[in-house]
Amino acid sequence: MAPAVLIIVVLRLWPLVLGVNFSFTGDGELNGTPVGLGNYLELAADPLFRTSLRNVGLLVLLLPVAVAIPGLLATFIYLRVPGHRVYRSVYFFPAVLSPVIVGAIFNLMLGYDGPVNAALGAIGAGPVDWLGDPDVAMFTVVGVHVWATFGMALVVFLAGFSTLDASLLDAARVDGASLGRVIWHVIIPSLTRTIQFVFVTTMIGMLTSMFGLLFVMTSGGPEGSTYLPEYYIWHEQGQMNRPALASAASTVLFVVMLVVGLLQISLLRRSGRQD
Amino acid sequence: MPGMRLARWAAAVPMAALALATIYPLVFTANVAMKTRRDYVLDRFSPAASPRFDNIAEAWAGAGMARYFANSFVVVAFSVLLLLLLGSMAGFALSRLRFRGSTVIFLGCLAGLFVPFQVIMVPLTRIMADSGLVDTYPGLILAYVAQFLPFTVFLMTSHYRTIPAEIVDAARIDGNTVYGVYRRIMLPLGVPALLSVGILNTLFCWNDVLISLLMMPSPEHRTLMIGVNSLRGQYSDDIPTFASGVLIAAVPVLMIYLFLQRRIADGVTAGSTKG
Repeated sequence: MAPAVLIIVVLRLWPLVLGVNFSFTGDGELNGTPVGLGNYLELAADPLFRTSLRNVGLLVLLLPVAVAIPGLLATFIYLRVPGHRVYRSVYFFPAVLSPVIVGAIFNLMLGYDGPVNAALGAIGAGPVDWLGDPDVAMFTVVGVHVWATFGMALVVFLAGFSTLDASLLDAARVDGASLGRVIWHVIIPSLTRTIQFVFVTTMIGMLTSMFGLLFVMTSGGPEGSTYLPEYYIWHEQGQMNRPALASAASTVLFVVMLVVGLLQISLLRRSGRQD
Repeated sequence: MPGMRLARWAAAVPMAALALATIYPLVFTANVAMKTRRDYVLDRFSPAASPRFDNIAEAWAGAGMARYFANSFVVVAFSVLLLLLLGSMAGFALSRLRFRGSTVIFLGCLAGLFVPFQVIMVPLTRIMADSGLVDTYPGLILAYVAQFLPFTVFLMTSHYRTIPAEIVDAARIDGNTVYGVYRRIMLPLGVPALLSVGILNTLFCWNDVLISLLMMPSPEHRTLMIGVNSLRGQYSDDIPTFASGVLIAAVPVLMIYLFLQRRIADGVTAGSTKG
């Protein structure tokens, strides 16, 4: 056990302390000298970093959609829609693919002459520059991320359903409740814990595992519109050689994640109590 | 529930459409991989006239994918073995041995679970560089172990908690050392959990982009996923060969999925329900 503890402490917890400390020092010629809040002020002034935070806000807004899709699908699979066994394995399979593979596949799918635009053309809509239009690109990448990961959340939901008390559903059926009412009054209250868990993990996933897609699909572009903090950190550290600035961005990301996580938990607790 | 039957059939339509949307991108890519460049330019949607595997051979040999495969294989194999060994030892110690500070250590491991890689990546890269571990196999292996150990320890601990303490006590009374109990009893009893965690860790390490990008900068050390991404430049005007490369890289994971999807899903849900 000692080696495990050693690795976790030395390579995971200690770097966190180092990083926070490092974020208060300078880069380049100022390497190692304390600069106080200098890096943070620079971050606040950097339009790229501001875009990345704005995109975090966008993710938070899109989060309910990313949770509702697998939740609804799990509900229908649980209610044994025709073919429910097949759907479970089909929906889950993109979740095992690497973001590099997913990104490469969607670069082909979303090309100007690609299948997605061809499908749009067939229903009479104009082609969309999915990855080249700054107003669209972030939504595209989030969409692909959801495509690739909703199977994970689906499986977690299904595990939650397996703990659901079937007699409650039967009672609702006897009372003649409609499907919508069953979902609202029986399923959602019974699955509060699962829903909480999916909310938090989906948010963390959006904040920390889109690097691969960004790296492959957009490289942060067009015009920096698809930056997220994690991509910004990597870019400042590796490409711009600004490790201290990157550390400051890391610290901000950590705080954002803590705040978002705690906020979600407390919000969901409160709404859970009302039911 | 009135309308249930109707709702089920109504849901079946979008669900089937979504299943198609899940599968089609992969089918499209596979089809492109079988086409000649000329066919692709003329019509990218029609089924490949006669399936040809020249592109696959070209991607394999021309891009040196064998090398990337070997790199990934070595790194993932050692990482996962180390993770399972350290994780099961720590899990055993934390769940079944009573010693001072065990709660603190367990909480420390949990804390590691909540520190995303992006937050510590700058200082971690620095520690690795200072130790001369960047661009070496042990460096990347150590980084993966550090990244996925908290999760592994957590799952192994909760698995071992389900095993009756009497078994351990009985084995001790029979004269086993602590190490003997681990090897003769806990290791065999942990096999189901070790399998699930092992498969998940294999997928995580195999699919990773960011960590290997940071830890293995030189081209001859590239892992498969970084290698695949570098094909994009090499075959930017030969999409069928690029698609072949992507397909080759996806095959191992698809095989694992086909044979072991239940275990993967079990591993994903174990983290959510036992928490």
